[in-house]
Amino acid sequence: MHRYKFVLYRPLQFLPVLFGISIITFVLVRLIPGDPARVLLGSRATPTAIANIRAQYGLDEPIWTQYFYFIANLGQGEMGKSILYKIDVLRLIATRLEPTLALVLSSVLLSVLIAVPLSAIAARNQGRAPDQIVRIVSTLGIGFPAFWLALMLIILFSVRLDIFPVSGYGNSLGDKLYHLALPSLTVALSLSAVLTRSLRGAMVQALRSDVATAARARGMPESIVFWRHVLPNSLVPTVNLLAVNIGWLIGGTVVVESVFALPGMGQLLVRAIFSRDYMVVQGVAMVFACSTVLVNFLADIVTVALDPRVKQ
Amino acid sequence: MSAPQLSVRDLSVAVEDGPGQRLLLDRVSLDLGTGEILGLVGESGSGKSLFCRALMRLLPSTKLSIIHGSILLEGRDLVTADETEMLKVRGGSIGMIFQNPTSHLDPVMSVGDQIAEGIRYHQGLNRRDARAAAVEILAQVGFPNPDRQYDGYPHEFSGGMRQRAMIGVALSSNPKILVADEPTTALDVTIQAQILRLLMDIRDKRGLSIILISHDLGVVAQTCDRIAVMRDGKLVEQGEKRALLEAPTHPYTRSLIQSHPSMPGEAASELPDAAVAEPSSSRPLLEIDDLHVRFTGGGGLFGRGAQTVAAVKGVSLRVMPGETVGIVGESGSGKSTLARAILGLTPLSSGRVSFDGSDLTTDRAAALAKLHGEAAMVFQDPYNALNPRLTIGDMLSEVLRVQGKASDTDIATRVGELLDLVGLEREFASRKPRSMSGGQCQRAGIARALAVDPRMIIADECVAALDVTIQAQIIDLFRELTASMSLTLLFIAHDLAIVRNLCERVVVMYRGEIVEEGLCADVFARPRHAYTAALIQAIPDIDPDKPLGGGAALELDAVTQQGHSSGQPLTAVNQ
Repeated sequence: MHRYKFVLYRPLQFLPVLFGISIITFVLVRLIPGDPARVLLGSRATPTAIANIRAQYGLDEPIWTQYFYFIANLGQGEMGKSILYKIDVLRLIATRLEPTLALVLSSVLLSVLIAVPLSAIAARNQGRAPDQIVRIVSTLGIGFPAFWLALMLIILFSVRLDIFPVSGYGNSLGDKLYHLALPSLTVALSLSAVLTRSLRGAMVQALRSDVATAARARGMPESIVFWRHVLPNSLVPTVNLLAVNIGWLIGGTVVVESVFALPGMGQLLVRAIFSRDYMVVQGVAMVFACSTVLVNFLADIVTVALDPRVKQ
Repeated sequence: MSAPQLSVRDLSVAVEDGPGQRLLLDRVSLDLGTGEILGLVGESGSGKSLFCRALMRLLPSTKLSIIHGSILLEGRDLVTADETEMLKVRGGSIGMIFQNPTSHLDPVMSVGDQIAEGIRYHQGLNRRDARAAAVEILAQVGFPNPDRQYDGYPHEFSGGMRQRAMIGVALSSNPKILVADEPTTALDVTIQAQILRLLMDIRDKRGLSIILISHDLGVVAQTCDRIAVMRDGKLVEQGEKRALLEAPTHPYTRSLIQSHPSMPGEAASELPDAAVAEPSSSRPLLEIDDLHVRFTGGGGLFGRGAQTVAAVKGVSLRVMPGETVGIVGESGSGKSTLARAILGLTPLSSGRVSFDGSDLTTDRAAALAKLHGEAAMVFQDPYNALNPRLTIGDMLSEVLRVQGKASDTDIATRVGELLDLVGLEREFASRKPRSMSGGQCQRAGIARALAVDPRMIIADECVAALDVTIQAQIIDLFRELTASMSLTLLFIAHDLAIVRNLCERVVVMYRGEIVEEGLCADVFARPRHAYTAALIQAIPDIDPDKPLGGGAALELDAVTQQGHSSGQPLTAVNQ
């Protein structure tokens, strides 16, 4: 079990990483031209009013003092107050985290459910019609932009067939899943295309490998050769590809959230940037950074579980 | 011989080649008796592996097909059997052992599970019973601690233990015939002896019949009852092994027997005299003093658990100009690291290496410049060591141009001369490696080394990947070159027989240290160190009456095995 020892000490390595990220986001946010107080009060605000707001949010202090307060607050589990929403940033993020998290999770699940069988069919029929079809479809899936796919899905499933809602996010669990169907399908269509291409290639190689030949030579039927030897040997590179894509997804759901009017992190971030809501932007950036680090950590654990040769 | 277990008649396999067909196996007929070990010898491309694949109806490509003949096993013809029946035959009647256990064992499945898989599928046992049966098999193939090692993964075992596991997998479904395709080619000589002994032991205990494919007549002579010789897809000769080895009828068999390295070559006895004749005529070309090379591996962010592996431990060696020195030892003994250290390709941890007076430790830049101009290396894998995009002529001209040893106008002439030197036709200048055989590629590799006009050549296992008759040719080439050009040759090999034939002096390495050193004739006749003796005894001799390995070999095997099974081929010391 010593191969899993990194699960205990790896989180210690996250601390310096997150510390670095906090400095970068903090400084970058303040480099954006514009002043939150001015955005908040409008163009006809008096200099005194603006100075008051700046003092209220600590914006008149030197940048390193502001950073010190930010870290000190973070130690107490606070990220400051949103200038726009007037509530604590952490509480704000907490309300917006769920739709994004649900969207990412359901699209990843859906992608895997699409990619594994498709790759299996393609690899086992290499060069024949099913393989060609899968390859064309996955190339299209990578090529089509998300907003276009989203609109097409809405036209087909919501407007014509009237199966799924056009937009919004429900209240009960069932209702939420119902509302998530089209957004996650949108994400899954392109994500599964990426995964299928990688997985199919790995499977084609594994089918020709010595491991598969040896399994056939001991009389294993093709189905056992495939599911017990080829699949486990093809998964590792795809798991890492998936991790990279999830990291990107967490910050990249903005378009899908906008089209389907999902009240998630992406929307929150865009609005915060436009209103120079420093506290929210750096809070959201921190959450994104943490989740990317976390996803890669999980992928490392899965890789170790899948491949006994890997040592972290 | 009782009724044959397996009877092959006129088996022909063809490949679709454009509009027509090309025969790869041409009417091969042979019988395999019950409890018999049949040796199938021939060079790569002779069709011996293809023959065995055809027996299992597992041809490596869909373009290949059996076009003629029959394979009779237990009263049915496997050529016409349907796929369901073949699933029972594969594993159930014929088990197969492959050359490279590292690539043929599933890296993500425990070795025990791979054995149990066949048992569950073919014998329909449940998980627990299959595990018990697999543990039993692991014990039979020589796993000292089968209950615990059941859960080990292939990468945790040494090459020899992996091959034992592979044999276990082949035995799992209780086959009557075992097909072993070059089962020991990838292994060290002492491990090879163990595996061959295991195969014979299994035959005796289980009454199996074995087809043993090998390019090494020595291996076959030591283990088999009968020998069949293949060439260009045809079976050229078969017969009882003593009769065949003593009185081969086919000229090809005769050339195979002659080129076997266990036959002492006449040159080996002549050369040492010449070397002894001029002692200390000049200073050594290469001097190595107490060289240590250590690698640091593993370790986390804070350097915890970092391990230092000592690959070369205190090696001292002197090589005089014009000398031919063989360095032998098993994999992991540090011979390749030593070669890389000499050429400055690996940082030295401590000690001194100097080439023709230039010290690699004190004046690295100058020594490297000297080495690049006056020393060259020939690599093990001739294909991978040549740039596939360059013709041989381009490759040689590039070296000549970079070295500045020939003016632009002379380059073409020099390329021609180099090709002549290594015995390649001049038209090879326009060929690319992929249209050349392994032996031709290795000749080109040697030509590239010679292009530097070196004083010293280091050849690292440069014939290990070649067929025996080609090996003999390359060895002859080296012998001519060293004699005519007064080259200094450091010849690294795990094959002692080759070193005995080629070199004047031999250095035996074991776990990073030199355990014995001396004139070839002396060392091979009267080895002083137990390890050298074990190595020599483990060479399969072409004479069937010289037994394989001895007691001393067995004891040392146990030592080697411990070092290997920890997963670290080199001795690891915690810092």
